Amino acid sequence: MKFTVLYGTESGNSELIAEDLGAKLRETELDVEVADLQDTDPASLGADRFVIVVCSTHGDGDLPNTAIPFAEAFDAALPDLTGMRYAMFGLGDTFYEATYSQGSEHIDRRFAAQGAIRVGEYGRHDASSWDLGSDVALEWLPGVLEAAAEPASA
Amino acid sequence: MPGSPGPQIAIVGSGPSGCYLAQALLRSLPHAEITIIDRLASPFGLIRYGVAADHQHTKAITRQFERLFQAGNVRFAGNVELGRDVGLDELRAHFDAVVLATGLSADRALALPGGELPGVIGAGTVTRALNAHPDEPTTLPDLGSDVVLIGAGNVALDLLRFLVKAESDYDASDIADPALERYLGSPAARVTVASRSDAAHAKGDAQMLRELAALPRAVYRLPDDPGSALADDGALDRAQAGRLAAVEELVASERPAHPGPAVTLRFGVIPVRILGEERVEAVEFAAGDDVVVVPATSVITAVGFAASDPLAELLADHSEVGGIEPGLYRTGWAKRGPSGGIPENRACAKSVAEEIVADVTSGALPGSETRLGFDGLPADVRAASVDYAQWLRLEQHERELAPSGRIRRKISDHDRMVAIAHDRA
Repeated sequence: MKFTVLYGTESGNSELIAEDLGAKLRETELDVEVADLQDTDPASLGADRFVIVVCSTHGDGDLPNTAIPFAEAFDAALPDLTGMRYAMFGLGDTFYEATYSQGSEHIDRRFAAQGAIRVGEYGRHDASSWDLGSDVALEWLPGVLEAAAEPASA
Repeated sequence: MPGSPGPQIAIVGSGPSGCYLAQALLRSLPHAEITIIDRLASPFGLIRYGVAADHQHTKAITRQFERLFQAGNVRFAGNVELGRDVGLDELRAHFDAVVLATGLSADRALALPGGELPGVIGAGTVTRALNAHPDEPTTLPDLGSDVVLIGAGNVALDLLRFLVKAESDYDASDIADPALERYLGSPAARVTVASRSDAAHAKGDAQMLRELAALPRAVYRLPDDPGSALADDGALDRAQAGRLAAVEELVASERPAHPGPAVTLRFGVIPVRILGEERVEAVEFAAGDDVVVVPATSVITAVGFAASDPLAELLADHSEVGGIEPGLYRTGWAKRGPSGGIPENRACAKSVAEEIVADVTSGALPGSETRLGFDGLPADVRAASVDYAQWLRLEQHERELAPSGRIRRKISDHDRMVAIAHDRA
């Protein structure tokens, strides 16, 4: 499988987690890319790569600023994501109860609407916990890889 | 190290701007040797001393910076003060590039008649005292029964939260208890928040206002004649509309009455002068054509920050670019002026890093193998400095000392901090 780890970040935490996930994947996989949503053309996404999105939450459950251009480009020319499989890891802060970890869901909804299929658990990290985001993400990754390895039928 | 293939880069200031810059530089210059110097014994600057103690979730950002200092080619050199222990010229002689990331930490003065009266206090002074900053006394001045807070940005809202909160609201924080206890011994009965802007255009984030509304403390009201403070002219963007809605929620009649001060929110008022003989007695505001006089036992000004250090002259003009001259740069508030939160400084650091990388690549920075970086600094300065492992010892000490209900007891005496870090306390 080919992997693309995309991150949307405001303060850098998602980037760090994405890099750690990328490094972990490279231990066993040959083709792993890590990219900023800011530098990603939605048209480049498709069924040929497994996509992992790591994305934080900004303001009132919004996308982080660096991910907004991606969302706008996505909406302007909706890509066909039929058959693309992906996993989501959202960052948030339960301090903001009502909007906790909603940033990544803006990407999730877009992917699903275009025919992509989310596999594995929806990963979350809570900035109010004392867990390190990368630790939580690295614990979450094997479950995702297991789910990804299963035949896409179901 | 001599013969190192990467440039030697010094970053002055270990707050978020300096740390973000080091992160961004390492991405493009993985062989760079970066030394982050700080006049304090602890790293992280504003995150440790400027972010309110009850917002530990914001302070969690240090976890990515901890990684930076563990990476190997980023050195922390605390207790090294530019202008005292080492001169800028000296630093520039030993490093290929020097970046000023010192922020702007002095409270901008309220240039009004009476602004110098005792009882007029800068917001930064209060925030630093509550964060146990070594430059501040360990306690707070007495604020008295009637506090007037001038400004309504996030710094002002942090202080408003402090003025209304009870002791139990600081659980799991690292607030400086002596300062907190001093205030809670005779807390304000009345607080007035005064903003030049209307509610929609004030600077504080809606999220911060909603946090106040959700807190079971204090009663909020608008003055009897609020004028057009809450007027919605129909052309508000999302942030402005959110702020307006949050203020409405705060003063809504449905909001239950809670213990704590009575808070009056005055929007669209311009402070004219501070009245008082020996000390502050009241503040006079212009509100349209009217004059409003608000009694005050103390005035806290939260109207922005300015440079305070020997670099003030270099940092006075805000700039679009980080380069001051070849080999000397600035980033963060030291570059852009005092606006924007922590994330904005990340974007700023990225662009300054690009400038530096471009200068390294183009040869505009003549690299020299005779530049030794940190190793070139005088032996006594190096010996007195606090490295990252030593900081971890100090931090461990602070955590072990934490009183019940707190995550840390910050040491506020600089010399003692250095002694603990050096394991000779």
